[in-house]
Amino acid sequence: MSFDRRKFNQALAAAGVLSAVSPFASVRAQTKALKVGLLLPRSGIQAGIGQDCYRVVEITNPLLRELGLPALEIMSGDTESNVDVARSRAERLIGEGAQLLVGAFDSGQTTAIAQVAEQRGIPLVINIAAAPPITEQGYKFVFRNFPTAPMILGDAFANQLEVFAATGVSPKTAVFMHVNDTFGVAMQRGFTGVMKKFPAIPYKVVETIAYDPAARDLSVEVAKAKATGAEALILVSRLNDAILLTRELVKQRWTPKAVLSMGPGWYEDQYLKTLGKLADGPISFVPWYDPNKKLAQRLLAAQHKAYPDISLNTNHVYTFEALLVAADAFKRAGSAEPKALADAIRTTDIKNNVSPGPGILFNAKGQNDKLKDSAIQNRGGKLVTVAPKDAANAKPELPMKPYQQR
Amino acid sequence: MIARLADGVPRKGLWLLAALLLLLTLFPLFASGYLLAIGFLILYFAYVGQAWNVMMGFAGQLSLGHSLYVGLGAYAAAALYVHFGVSPWIGLGAAIGISMLAGAAIGFLAFRFGVAGVYFAILTIAFAEFARIGFDHFAWVRGSSGLFLPVANYTENDLWNLRGSPVMFYYLMLAMTAGAFVLCHALLRSRMGYYWLAIRESPEAAAALGVNVFRYKMYAVVISAAMTSLSGVVFAFYYNNLFPEQIFHISRSIELILGPIIGGIGTLVGPIVGAFLLTGLAEGLRELMLQLGIDVPGVKQVFYGLCLLLVIMFLPDGVWPPLARKLGLHR
Repeated sequence: MSFDRRKFNQALAAAGVLSAVSPFASVRAQTKALKVGLLLPRSGIQAGIGQDCYRVVEITNPLLRELGLPALEIMSGDTESNVDVARSRAERLIGEGAQLLVGAFDSGQTTAIAQVAEQRGIPLVINIAAAPPITEQGYKFVFRNFPTAPMILGDAFANQLEVFAATGVSPKTAVFMHVNDTFGVAMQRGFTGVMKKFPAIPYKVVETIAYDPAARDLSVEVAKAKATGAEALILVSRLNDAILLTRELVKQRWTPKAVLSMGPGWYEDQYLKTLGKLADGPISFVPWYDPNKKLAQRLLAAQHKAYPDISLNTNHVYTFEALLVAADAFKRAGSAEPKALADAIRTTDIKNNVSPGPGILFNAKGQNDKLKDSAIQNRGGKLVTVAPKDAANAKPELPMKPYQQR
Repeated sequence: MIARLADGVPRKGLWLLAALLLLLTLFPLFASGYLLAIGFLILYFAYVGQAWNVMMGFAGQLSLGHSLYVGLGAYAAAALYVHFGVSPWIGLGAAIGISMLAGAAIGFLAFRFGVAGVYFAILTIAFAEFARIGFDHFAWVRGSSGLFLPVANYTENDLWNLRGSPVMFYYLMLAMTAGAFVLCHALLRSRMGYYWLAIRESPEAAAALGVNVFRYKMYAVVISAAMTSLSGVVFAFYYNNLFPEQIFHISRSIELILGPIIGGIGTLVGPIVGAFLLTGLAEGLRELMLQLGIDVPGVKQVFYGLCLLLVIMFLPDGVWPPLARKLGLHR
């Protein structure tokens, strides 16, 4: 039988019609596990991050069982890094029986999902999204266990003060370099605003240098920064430009007393692997995990076993904790009924968790405002936490060892 | 007037349109929340595809930066609502005005100085990018931190403030799509429509016949910009958050022109067919794969690529023209 274009089109149309009506006939067996719709940008521009967050799914259920918590049935939804799709995916997952939603890394997508969750009365536990308005809208079913942007910046300055006090190194001047994309510009604006609330910060920003994240050469920018004679270099970068900047610092024989990063790049696996000894020294201020907490150590071990080449990071930690909140609430509520789940989440008080701070608990707005961020330093190709003191497993080392002496 | 509009349209076509409209009107009665969200997206892409089609399909001016008008419309109405409590229907006036001005500026620069074809397309991208970067630094609309609208109250529909349930937004989008269809039909049958077609086929020949090419190209750009900005207003109030990085991004421009390209550029039904095919079938395919236990992120993008490839190879005029011939709807 030949399969000509006409037949192909007919087959395609038939498949389309069948698949389009399939949600009506979607009857699935009820299971005892809580059905969690996990919404992440697993394709599109944020695919790398979404897939990184998703890695934790494989190791979550065994860990939950170890903790005596019920296993979760994860229903995956790809938001395609798109706010329109995020909303329709949330609707689909709820339609298919999701009793709780987790997601979605990006603030815009999360906001779209939050509206669906609120309207349908299904709890949403946000894994990562830092825009403050999400929990300022009066939602009753939306909970966030991730610091807001002002919290991240505030903790960064608090941790800097702790690092300077511990090392006795207090840079008097600094150059602020940042990528000129959306994230970089927002951070720059926030940095200037929040810094005013920390009069004890010893340095004065003598120069602010913005650069293109896609730049192939940053020699001019580094030369300009070096010429100021600043003692510290503060950065908001991405991965590629962090590598470029480091190479340029080496080339131009400039080792500031401190390289302080307030964004990604400087602590990522690829940075450490690519630069080897030259990667040592920078301190990054990020939402992280408390290496002293037992659950963090168990998560670290499980992650290492499942993905030996990938270090535990923010994406894994906060996605895991969102799932932990779901399992804990399910156990306490004794029911998968959404309202009972939401009530249970509201009274969450998890002490045995992964992230720094007293634990997971939500204020009246659904925000965990007790979360603390960390300062992590690159040391011997590994990452150690150097602040806050309660969540540290090493003492900070400043000034940085000159690149030429490594 | 309706009789005049329907004049010359095959009776079978009118019945089909009426049936489609009836089906779409009844759709929320039996659709789940998910299907309703998909229905909204289909209508949204059908509408913006129709708006883009005015410029490219009718007047032959390729714009790859239509996200500019979506974004300007969205930001204008949303900012007025957030800062002054102005109803989006009043804000719509500002949205349309700003978008028309932006369209006029692009059109003037391009048509006055003979920028055409690929170079015109690049100019439209440049303006959208310029807006994206500009809005990233525009503190009044919260810059790159995003502009958030207050939460909608879903207990009742407030059409005046566009606060309400997805069903309300679905019907609004349906009305807009139907309205755009009728408007484009009327435009195509007007003197301006014939001038546009003449310009699209050969600007030199049109000019030789006395058509003011500059003026009619400008009309096309401005009308298209105004129509597109309306979709931006609905977008803002439906999703309740705006980020320059997302709304002005070139990927959004590409996304909104895929429908008419697949459906048939320059046809009235093409953008609607294209939106149905792309959004409906892509979602259907994904659902089918999930039913089969296959969870592959990005399958929709692959499907889009395949559709484009197949259409370019086998149906260079789009899906609608041969389909119309088959249904006996062509004249």
